[in-house]
Amino acid sequence: MLNLGLDVVTTAAILFIVSTGLLLVFGVMKIINFSHGAFLTTGGYASVIVTQAGLSWWWGIPCALAIGFVLGMAVERFIVRPLYARPLDAILATWGLGIIVGQIITLVFGRGVQMVESPVTGALAVHGAQYSAYRLILVGVALVIALALGWLLNGTRLGLQTRAVIMNEALARGLGISSTRVRFMTFCTGAALASLAGCLITPLASVDPNMGVPWIVGAFMLVLVAGSSLVNLAVASAVLGGAQVLVSTFINPVLGGLTIAVLAALLLRIRPEGFARG
Amino acid sequence: MKQALFATGARGWRGATITAALLAAAFTSIGAQAADPIKIGVPVGLSGANSVVAPSVVQSAQLAVEEINAKGGILGRQVALEVADDGSGAAGAQKAFDSLIFDKKVNALISMETSAARNAGLPIVTRGKTPFIYTSFYEGRSCNRYMYVDAWVPDQQVAPIVDYFMKQKNAKTFFLIGSDYAFGRGMLDFTKSYIEKHGGKVVGNEYLPMDGSDWTPIISKLQAAKPDAVITSTAGGAPNVTLTKQLRAAGVKLPYGNLAVDEGTAKSMGADAEGIYISGSYVTNIDTPANKQFLAAMQKRFGADLKTPNDLSVPQYEAIYLYKAAVEKAGTTDPAKVIPLLAQVSFDGPRGTIKMDKQRHTPLTMYLGQVQADGSVKVIESFKNVDPGEQCPSLK
Amino acid sequence: MTLKNGVAPAWRTPVVIGVAALAVLALGSVVLPTFLVNNLIRAFLYAALALTVDLLWGYTGILTFGQSAFFGIGAYAAGLVFTHAGFSLPLAAGALAAGLVCAWLVSRAIGWLAFYHGASPLYASVVTLVLPIVLVQGIYSGGEFTGSSSGLSGFDSFDVPLEAWFFIAGAFLTVVAVIAWLFVRSDAGRLLVAIRENESRCEYLGIDVSRYKARLMDVCALVAAAAGFLFACVQMVVAPEYAGFVFGTELVIWVALGGRGSLLGPIVGALLIDVGSAYLSGNLPYIWTLLVGIAFVVVIVAMPRGLAPLAANALRRAVPRKRRIAPVAVSFVAAPARERERDDAQSPQAALSLRDVQKHFGSLKVLDGISFDAHAGELLSLIGPNGAGKSTLMRCIADGAQRSGGTVEIGGAEIRKLAPYDCVALGVGRKFQTATVFESLSVAEALRIARYRLAPPAKWQRDTTLELPQPALDVLRLTGLDKIPERECRYLSHGQKQALELAMVLALEPRTILLDEPTAGLTKQERTQIGAIFVALATRYRMCLLLVEHDLDFVREISSRIIVLHQGRIVMDGGVDEVVNSELVRAVYAGESHSDAASTEGGA
Repeated sequence: MLNLGLDVVTTAAILFIVSTGLLLVFGVMKIINFSHGAFLTTGGYASVIVTQAGLSWWWGIPCALAIGFVLGMAVERFIVRPLYARPLDAILATWGLGIIVGQIITLVFGRGVQMVESPVTGALAVHGAQYSAYRLILVGVALVIALALGWLLNGTRLGLQTRAVIMNEALARGLGISSTRVRFMTFCTGAALASLAGCLITPLASVDPNMGVPWIVGAFMLVLVAGSSLVNLAVASAVLGGAQVLVSTFINPVLGGLTIAVLAALLLRIRPEGFARG
Repeated sequence: MKQALFATGARGWRGATITAALLAAAFTSIGAQAADPIKIGVPVGLSGANSVVAPSVVQSAQLAVEEINAKGGILGRQVALEVADDGSGAAGAQKAFDSLIFDKKVNALISMETSAARNAGLPIVTRGKTPFIYTSFYEGRSCNRYMYVDAWVPDQQVAPIVDYFMKQKNAKTFFLIGSDYAFGRGMLDFTKSYIEKHGGKVVGNEYLPMDGSDWTPIISKLQAAKPDAVITSTAGGAPNVTLTKQLRAAGVKLPYGNLAVDEGTAKSMGADAEGIYISGSYVTNIDTPANKQFLAAMQKRFGADLKTPNDLSVPQYEAIYLYKAAVEKAGTTDPAKVIPLLAQVSFDGPRGTIKMDKQRHTPLTMYLGQVQADGSVKVIESFKNVDPGEQCPSLK
Repeated sequence: MTLKNGVAPAWRTPVVIGVAALAVLALGSVVLPTFLVNNLIRAFLYAALALTVDLLWGYTGILTFGQSAFFGIGAYAAGLVFTHAGFSLPLAAGALAAGLVCAWLVSRAIGWLAFYHGASPLYASVVTLVLPIVLVQGIYSGGEFTGSSSGLSGFDSFDVPLEAWFFIAGAFLTVVAVIAWLFVRSDAGRLLVAIRENESRCEYLGIDVSRYKARLMDVCALVAAAAGFLFACVQMVVAPEYAGFVFGTELVIWVALGGRGSLLGPIVGALLIDVGSAYLSGNLPYIWTLLVGIAFVVVIVAMPRGLAPLAANALRRAVPRKRRIAPVAVSFVAAPARERERDDAQSPQAALSLRDVQKHFGSLKVLDGISFDAHAGELLSLIGPNGAGKSTLMRCIADGAQRSGGTVEIGGAEIRKLAPYDCVALGVGRKFQTATVFESLSVAEALRIARYRLAPPAKWQRDTTLELPQPALDVLRLTGLDKIPERECRYLSHGQKQALELAMVLALEPRTILLDEPTAGLTKQERTQIGAIFVALATRYRMCLLLVEHDLDFVREISSRIIVLHQGRIVMDGGVDEVVNSELVRAVYAGESHSDAASTEGGA
């Protein structure tokens, strides 16, 4: 029972970490960044580079953030910006970008699965049950990210401008806010967050050129349901992630893998705003 | 100006014609000596799920072909290799098999594929009436008039591990984990019935989708079930690695038999792989002169580019020699004559004496090994001539 | 305007080309090398599949990743039946029927999920993405029955030589292409483009867009399933990857590269890339995918119409005197007067009746207790400062789902929660504030779309005449639009677009028209013109007009009645002089709250 509860909480935390970058981009720019998976992968490979260079795994975090941010700059400028007025095309272009990044990584690193040593190994004894220490740490990390983003959005000027653009872009521009700059910064931050997420999941999974792909669909279903609020994303991660764990445990993991996508699709049909207030 | 050009032009033309004639004569004379090479087609997953292991398979094939050519070829004809990418899947396999059989017109196909690719290619093999030696281990019971298999099937691989666990580790209850696809299910279904036939009990049998990487719910169930041993059969590559990592991270220290991992992957798993039991028909530590000779030749040929020979690439090497033997015995490459003879010839290769005479499949010496701290595999026991069982009863 | 009867034989060209293609195919099947024949058989079926993607995405704007799922359903129907029940002609027919029925059912489900009034296109695309994922997991879970990840093979199929399959597959593609061509060129086919360009406008023209999209998807699903069935029969193998979303996205890539919104583009894209990859990918497996990915991104960003227009331009330059297909000349004709118009004058019912209409966003109340009646022949203007709720009120009248409370009756019938297209059926037409017409369509085509509900356009042909009600004809004549029926809307001036939209709304033969700031952006002359038109609509044609306006002079000149809205409430409702001279109204516009102004006014 305790194991199950911990499974739900840690799964929700991981889903949250993976989806925040996508949420930011979707909330501000109203497009789904299908290259999110590619950014996850670059973060994973940042870990590989760092550990292969002999440094401690923790250096992977700033490395991933930096790589994600820089890559995000190029992508926003050349691919996303020309497609502001064509959101469906933006989905396709970012999907194509994902393919390109995947192929380039394959060419550079080879198609093999890379291993990254976990910085925190072993299990913690929690009330008599053994549970993976790293997964528990990730819950804490999710909280830190949520708080950091929350502070960024609510406590800084750029954050205020971002929230204005989220609510009403035309009005924000009318008030002199450079929505271009806000979109640019948002995309770069979203990309950096995705890259960070990729780096953070490497101790739990392996690193290969397609590691990001399985996360894409789940992440953006969560984002669609959450709208543009971080709190809603946390709720969605908990509810849908919990459903996934329950279905995987009590029915079978194949259906579990489909749970988030199917539940979210049905939920959005009944209530198109998702968890957001109407 | 024009006149000058013309002048050099005329001289130039004459010179060019003479050179061309000489070259043509040279090439045709060479061509006359060559006679048609015997083409062996290798459709393999250069891209897709098999792309990690494909280079080793191609290297084995190249070494075999070069060795054969150095000794005069087959029936006095040189052997040529045609490699095509099957994308590790059905759509790519159809294109690759089509290309090799109908465009490049190969005399035989010898390669490893995923099951989806193999199934997609078989109708084309039948249409093209081309001999096909399948060199990959798989879930068994795939039968086709034109196909032979020189790698192992579950009936051969599972027994060593289960027997060892039951006898040496006193394991009575087992937990089975796999990827939900034909090979994963096939292996574990066989494992389950084998365990139960020998008095053991399966307390859990869980599958994750093929591309799943989050084994958490299954690991939780494993810990709740408290089995004596765990046996897994996941898709190669990422699922294998993630499962092992997550098992170790959760503190699982039971005897762990992995039906789907090879030396190379085990090495890359690092410390997490230590203690895993594997079973296969080839490990690099096999102590026979044939294997040592093979490894030395591979090292010499490929040097720093060598991809570690493994249980998927060595059967390729042996299969090419088997084809050579069958063609020489038949005296022709005519498929109608060669195919029946493929069951009668044998070859002494790195894995021992190979003869595909059990319903198109091959009895093999299986090795039970345990992964050591440095990633190498220590052979614990070997089982000679393990029978593949009833694979294709209708095809004697 | 001369009366011209008859229909241009638009079917001739496509059918002739189709027959020629069949002849080429018959020849090709014997002449071409076997390897190419094998590849082309597959490529033809993929191209037919790509055509369905193009119809949905390129023409109608529904980005779908799910056509591969329907292909897979057709293929697995064949594979499952032939593997488990054996092969025979009746069994094959049964398998085909099963595949088609199953595809149709799935398509209905997807249609229900994805296409409804107010659905976002993003959501629809997401649903089409989830479909193949779910289907493939289902196949994986099927164990031995479905063959799981290995697929099914080794089953028997039709004993037909490869050359014959080449002809069959090619003929299938040709038939699908010709039918698609006939449909797309027809009058009804223009609706696809209209939906893609301005779905909302279509809804307000009385077209049930969701149902149309769902039915289009049904048809495309059936074609895809048929292609899948043929594929399984000729290849004798089925595998989950044919039903998966990677294949689905590949189809989109082929259509994008070949040229979306054209029919030849996807065919060429599919054939070239699929056959090309068979030849090239062996030599450069990673590079090939990388190249395609790069080409795809470049095309989406820089050349959204795909590579086909480039090729077409090159062709046009290479073949200088290519005869261009002349656009079908359309002439406008007066529609027979409808019974209704005569009844109207005697009908005692109000054209429009609102009782206590409310609208709030969360805790913000935008409209509160709006009640009034409007009658035929009235020209009622709605004025008030910004933020008073005027546009919101218009929306609440034309769309039953908008308001939070109260009742709206159009011609005596309550609109309850009806969608815009059903409200149009009750007799109300709405003209948007910004001129929303269909950029890629011509004036005549746009008007024909407007007549969709009352006079459904021909499905396979192009009429040379278009009947329009007299008011619409008057507007066209007055603004000179009747002289340029073939001009594309994108080339019209702002004033012309406004007039065209008005004509389109009039083409609906509404009894009530809602006009949202009709004079915005018009020149003084155009304003006078349109004012005269409005007055004529009210007096001569006995329509009820409800205008939202800021130009008080315009309002004073043409209105018969004015309602003043302030902070979501009606503060005044009366004749022109009364309202224009009122202190209250002046105060409201000056920004005081209306209760203060009322006390100043002394309770007027």
